[in-house]
Amino acid sequence: MDTPTKTPGTAAPHRRTLAVPRVNTMAATAVGLALLGFGVWSLIALRINVATLIDSFDNAVEFLGRVVPLDFPPPGELLALIGQTLAIVIAATLLSMVLSIPLAFWAAGNTTRNRVTRLGSRAVIVSMRAIPDLVLAIIFVRVFGLGVIPGVLAMGLHSIGMIGKLYADAIEQIDEGPRTAIRATGARRLQQLVSGVLPQVMPSFVATAMHRLDINLRISVLLGYVGVAGIGKEIKNALETLNYPRGIALALVVLALCIVMELISGAIRRAILGPQADTRRGGILGLMGRARRGVAAGTAAAARRVSVPMSGRRFARLAWTFVGVMIVLVSVGFVGRDLFDMTGSGIANTLDRLWPPDTGGVPSAELIDAMFVTVQVAFAATLIGAVLALPVGVLAARNVAPRLWLGKVFRMFIVCVRGVPELILAIVFVVMIGLGEVAGTLALSIGAIGLFGKLVADSVEEVDPGVEQALRATGASRSQVFFAATLPQALPAVIGHLLYQLDVNIRSATLLGIVGAGGIGYYLLQASRVREFGTVTLITLMLFGVVMLVELIAMWLRRTAGARS
Amino acid sequence: MTRQNDNSDTGGREAVRFDGVTKRFPPNVTALDSVSLSARFGEVVVLLGLSGSGKSTLLRHVDGLQLPTEGSVHVLGVDVAAARPKALRRLRGRIGFVFQQFHLVPTLTVLENVCTGALARLRGPRLGLPTYPRRIREAALDQLDRVGLADRAFQRADTLSGGQQQRVAIARAMLQEPEILLADEPVASLDPESSHQVMELIKRVATEDDLTVLCSLHQVDLALAWGDRIVGLHTGRVVMDTPVADIDHADAMSIYARVGAENVADAAAE
Repeated sequence: MDTPTKTPGTAAPHRRTLAVPRVNTMAATAVGLALLGFGVWSLIALRINVATLIDSFDNAVEFLGRVVPLDFPPPGELLALIGQTLAIVIAATLLSMVLSIPLAFWAAGNTTRNRVTRLGSRAVIVSMRAIPDLVLAIIFVRVFGLGVIPGVLAMGLHSIGMIGKLYADAIEQIDEGPRTAIRATGARRLQQLVSGVLPQVMPSFVATAMHRLDINLRISVLLGYVGVAGIGKEIKNALETLNYPRGIALALVVLALCIVMELISGAIRRAILGPQADTRRGGILGLMGRARRGVAAGTAAAARRVSVPMSGRRFARLAWTFVGVMIVLVSVGFVGRDLFDMTGSGIANTLDRLWPPDTGGVPSAELIDAMFVTVQVAFAATLIGAVLALPVGVLAARNVAPRLWLGKVFRMFIVCVRGVPELILAIVFVVMIGLGEVAGTLALSIGAIGLFGKLVADSVEEVDPGVEQALRATGASRSQVFFAATLPQALPAVIGHLLYQLDVNIRSATLLGIVGAGGIGYYLLQASRVREFGTVTLITLMLFGVVMLVELIAMWLRRTAGARS
Repeated sequence: MTRQNDNSDTGGREAVRFDGVTKRFPPNVTALDSVSLSARFGEVVVLLGLSGSGKSTLLRHVDGLQLPTEGSVHVLGVDVAAARPKALRRLRGRIGFVFQQFHLVPTLTVLENVCTGALARLRGPRLGLPTYPRRIREAALDQLDRVGLADRAFQRADTLSGGQQQRVAIARAMLQEPEILLADEPVASLDPESSHQVMELIKRVATEDDLTVLCSLHQVDLALAWGDRIVGLHTGRVVMDTPVADIDHADAMSIYARVGAENVADAAAE
């Protein structure tokens, strides 16, 4: 404050008006450019360009000729297939939920003091995520034979990686107050957890499970390719016998199922989280709402009621809960029927054959090449996806969209794309433009609009509106405000999301190889067919290595770029 | 740095004039209720009133961040509600705005934050210091000198303390070379020492640049010492509009006491 006032013009002529570049910033920029360069090079190497796309459009016409008229199975058979698929998915998600709850309580810092228990539980959760569900399915199909159980186990165990982690996070985010109060009444530990913690996390537990249900439905199609029962298996059988009208018809059924499931689970999540989220967001209003409810409860007590009065809404909620429980019970019963005629003889034998890793007679150079192609597909798809999804995501953000309705249109578009499983896209593209990497890349690129586009829109909406307003107050135009205030605030998150999309794409690119979209996935499928389990292990390890490498680079980039200037 | 306002074209009349301005927010909140007031060129008008009495809304109407539901706002001879987007942006360029929460871009450097004050004069979007012309960067450094933070030019804005961030925000507003300065409780989220520094700074730049000032405050003593005129707001209505010379501390405090008084009156009426 004591610096004397200077008049413009008297400043030293060689004053520095730009920051000295920092080593970290330059390194991060270099790595970012290198990743971008690799993406561009992948595009060129995979021969994805305008000409290819135009060719694809020509093929699309031919494609229609090949699949029309669509051939749906008879209604009874179709319903049975849908029922079977849903039963597997629901049972798997339930299994995962049941296993995740104790794991999450052991993993959360506020419910488990013992470090060893905590780390052990975290390790179980992380390793469940690290083993792809496809690999688990291959193993369980070998152990238990074709059918329902391998799918339930594979998805049930792999889902712990996500559900367990999100559950543990939810437990760690609770308000400690109620639990402390219950402890103060002299309750035992388990009582504290059940009365003080569980009610707080239950809504988010159910919401997370519903989210996973959506994901598992998509994955179940893929697992059909390695012998898990359900619609996926029928799609695979149809496509293998070049019965495209049947294959694409079933793919459309899956698409419809996914959309219906997403709508239902979205409605349930809103019903569970909605009022609570409003209470949190409402601030003072929420407080008043809570106070009012408290008063109402007081009145009820005055009338000496000892049970909650049955209102129309409460009745509807109970009825729906009953329907939900029945669906889950039927699914479990369906799966359980299979459990009794399970032999499960080959466990030791199979586990033994998983180690040591082994190329199974395939030249290792061929495997490495295929892995490299998978990485190329992931990079190329991330690049195309980013170019497509960035403008869509930015325009879908409420605070940037030039018109409110335009933002809503883009939001709807993103939601629609999100509803389409990448696997179905890949299957369609494979049928349309033939087996190979281009089909996989295009499927993943479009899928990126759904995920990355949504994440971009969300992080753009999350910026501090005050800063935007301050710049608007200086007279800056709409685009100036976007570049000077909105973008710099959202950029770290957007870069983070892009790296996450890359990570997702590498995993997905592997899986899409199963349906013939190129890369290492094909070799994984072959290995499972000829029961070369050593090769399955080897490919899993290779994939693990690549994903770890990308994740390390991403982590470093996030840290360095986050601390930039 | 002292600059005489060229008032000849407006004949030295009002810089800001509100005529019967009412602002309603759906569903049924009335933030401003037939507000009429004016500020002459070079005048320092201090707005007093409880939180939620409409001070911020009033300030936002001056540079068209919000538009009136009824009535009209004229600023520097421009009808704010009728101005086309481009004219409105040009008008905003002539008005500096200092917010309670500073509103700097946390991930950008201090200097770039100051440079954003020149956006209205520049064409096209800017991101990154090199995208601003050198003369703007130098002018921004001069403004940072003025608020005593030139040595922090290349730090990220979120590494500064609250008081320092507010001084950067003032530098940003000063780079606009404004004719009017709006300040919305500029020291309400600062500790006493930073408050004092920031308030002294605002008074100094306002005097040096001969600015018309509309500033909302909670400190009655400060308002009496600095302001030319006190405007009291209560539930969106102007309940006091008096030259400082005509009132004392107790009068000014009555704006805050009004709530209690009204409650008593209501109770008596019933």
